[in-house]
Amino acid sequence: MTFSPTLAAELRHLLGADQVITEPDELRVYDCDGLTGWRAMPAAVVLPGTTEEVQAVVRVCAREGTPFVARGAGTGLSGGALPVADGIVVSLARMRAILEIDLDSQRIVVESGVTNLDVTRAVSGDGFFYAPDPSSQQVCTIGGNVAENSGGAHCLKNGFTVNHVTGLKVVLPDGELVELGGKALDPDGPDLLGAFIGSEGTLGIATEVTLRIVRKPEVVTTQLAAFRSIDDAGAAVSAIVSAGILPAAIEMMDRLTIDAAEQAFHPGYPDGAESVLLVELDGVDVQVEEDAAAVDRICRACGAFEIRVALDDAERALLWLGRKAAFPAMGRISPDYYVQDGVVPRTKLPEVLHRIGELSAEHGLRVGNVFHAGDGNLHPLVLYDASKGEAERAKELAEEILAACLEAGGALTGEHGIGVDKACSMPKMFSERDLATFERLRRAFDPDGLANPGKVLPTPRLCGEVPGPYRMHPLERIGVAERF
Amino acid sequence: MPSVSSVEEAAETLRAAGAAGRRVRIGDDLDAGGMQRILEHEAGDLTCTVESGIRVSSLNRALAEHGQRLSLDPPGDPTIGACLAASLSGPLRHRFGAPRDLVLGVTLVLADGTVANAGGKVVKNVAGYDLGKLVCGSRGRLAFIARVSLRLHPIPAASGTLVVESDDVAGAVAALQRSQLAPSALDVLHPGRVAVLFEGAKRAVASQLATARELVGGDESGAGVWAESRERQGAAQGRVRFAPGELDSALATLDEAVVRPAAGIAYVPRATVDDVPAAVLALQERVRERFDPQGVLA
Repeated sequence: MTFSPTLAAELRHLLGADQVITEPDELRVYDCDGLTGWRAMPAAVVLPGTTEEVQAVVRVCAREGTPFVARGAGTGLSGGALPVADGIVVSLARMRAILEIDLDSQRIVVESGVTNLDVTRAVSGDGFFYAPDPSSQQVCTIGGNVAENSGGAHCLKNGFTVNHVTGLKVVLPDGELVELGGKALDPDGPDLLGAFIGSEGTLGIATEVTLRIVRKPEVVTTQLAAFRSIDDAGAAVSAIVSAGILPAAIEMMDRLTIDAAEQAFHPGYPDGAESVLLVELDGVDVQVEEDAAAVDRICRACGAFEIRVALDDAERALLWLGRKAAFPAMGRISPDYYVQDGVVPRTKLPEVLHRIGELSAEHGLRVGNVFHAGDGNLHPLVLYDASKGEAERAKELAEEILAACLEAGGALTGEHGIGVDKACSMPKMFSERDLATFERLRRAFDPDGLANPGKVLPTPRLCGEVPGPYRMHPLERIGVAERF
Repeated sequence: MPSVSSVEEAAETLRAAGAAGRRVRIGDDLDAGGMQRILEHEAGDLTCTVESGIRVSSLNRALAEHGQRLSLDPPGDPTIGACLAASLSGPLRHRFGAPRDLVLGVTLVLADGTVANAGGKVVKNVAGYDLGKLVCGSRGRLAFIARVSLRLHPIPAASGTLVVESDDVAGAVAALQRSQLAPSALDVLHPGRVAVLFEGAKRAVASQLATARELVGGDESGAGVWAESRERQGAAQGRVRFAPGELDSALATLDEAVVRPAAGIAYVPRATVDDVPAAVLALQERVRERFDPQGVLA
């Protein structure tokens, strides 16, 4: 049903007049998220301040059959918070209370509009931190992290959002409230909590989140190793992981991104580096000391010609400067860029990076590689100039890179999510039966399809009737290959 | 009935049961006895894909040849399928988590014979719904788990155990938890004992043992205490949950238990009732109906 003035009046009555936005000028702020190529105008944006108000809004949506989209800070990169045209956007921006800090339980309970970094800030004075650290952590919200199952550079050792959320209050798409989990782990029954996290707003709206907080490590050591080729750096990543070392983070940059970062922010990385690795180790001091010595040995054996070590926060910030500056620096060397997000098995990194190089040459567009090497999560940056009509070519190149990741046994997305961006690519990784099974879960939570429709699963309206070419799912392929 | 030996056979069995109006209890009427192969183990990736009938011990024997392990040590020697379906874990849960934290992907056979994959075989992946987690704890009511991809860990170079006997077990646990030590396991063998496992480089284990002793006292011990802990957990009839910070008051209500304090779980000798809120039960039922509308899975 379409949005009417009566409905607007009802929402104003429920939330207060200034918590309902319907003016087109003000709505425009909400017409996209971090994936700015997709835009849609909602009929209204509502800003509930409590779980009860979220329930009230969702009940109205359910009654009227109006689609709704939950929104945190809008930093997502896959269009997960893209409004449904003429639907309602439920912004959690006002729900920013830290409800309880329970250091003895190593838990914190927050409303879902609290930013990721504010969770760590709330407990850092007591020697704790919140482990998942997406690069947008200063602004992105915990609710958004739950929706996307956010990772970050340090999830290699510490795990993703799903490994750190122990409880959720969820407003289901019919307005009912469920409490999944709590401070204790392993609730009885199927892991609905685990299924909800990463469901991209399609199963309901999380309003309160109980998180695990972690004791700060005794020691942190950061090493930067410079290599003459990207193959050498890739080999070092495999060798470190195979040696049984589990760093907090292993990040990799190629020549193009190093050059861009140097031009823009002058991190002063070693001259002549075709690739640099940043390896961060944390934990108890003797273990870190031994592991750091092993990382040093391995990197040198793989051809590293210079290794720098940061022992304090200031030195560490300098080593990370280039890595953190890589994305903004790209804006200086190219008018436009598209950030791809794909995953490959760690042992396939060198092979896939080669393939990306070939694809880049074939399409005549530059591709920068700066990524979470330790877990095989690539972020190729496809550089293009939209004013020269290169956008379409860039999109093709980005899709072929993703195909190469799947070909290597990887995944469509490691942390940015499917959203609208990759909904039509889902058939490349999952069969119709797989997708139909996903649909069963979605319908169990949301029989009327009102929660963030058009995201995650492909729809004929979004993708046309013909699905893309299906590649056998990695698990299916393993099973089949084994039989012959 | 039958141990099946392939995904297709499992699908066929379930389809036939559905057509005949027969109910199937996974584990009793249908098990993965013939599906015990390791389908892939890419050592450099620290991942593997197995058929769900393989037992934890045989998987770990094979992985040990490559210096790796599945960091899951539930009592007994269950199959991987059972580990997921019943969400089984042991002392290593402290650091490495439950099956839901180690599963990367699954192949499921639904009650109507539909074969569906979810997740993948890479350690990081947010594409699609995480049905591998959903089926953890589902006790065979949502689907037959046929294949599982898992995250692995290196076998540590050394390990050491500290056992602390104390009248103030909760105080000892709190001191350890507030320290920067990184134990792999931390159990309370109630009443009166705390066991701590350190793993890693030899020197690091020694130094952590020393630090822990300064903090809470106790003596170094062999691995026997972990066998005891797992055995007592295996013999337990119920589970009690508590906020980890309320360990002291939780223990006060129990005569005997094996407790994972960081998880807030106590395994107790008496039977307990699942403490799932009504709204969650209703949601579980809605999910079950969608996965098995005919009610084939008992």
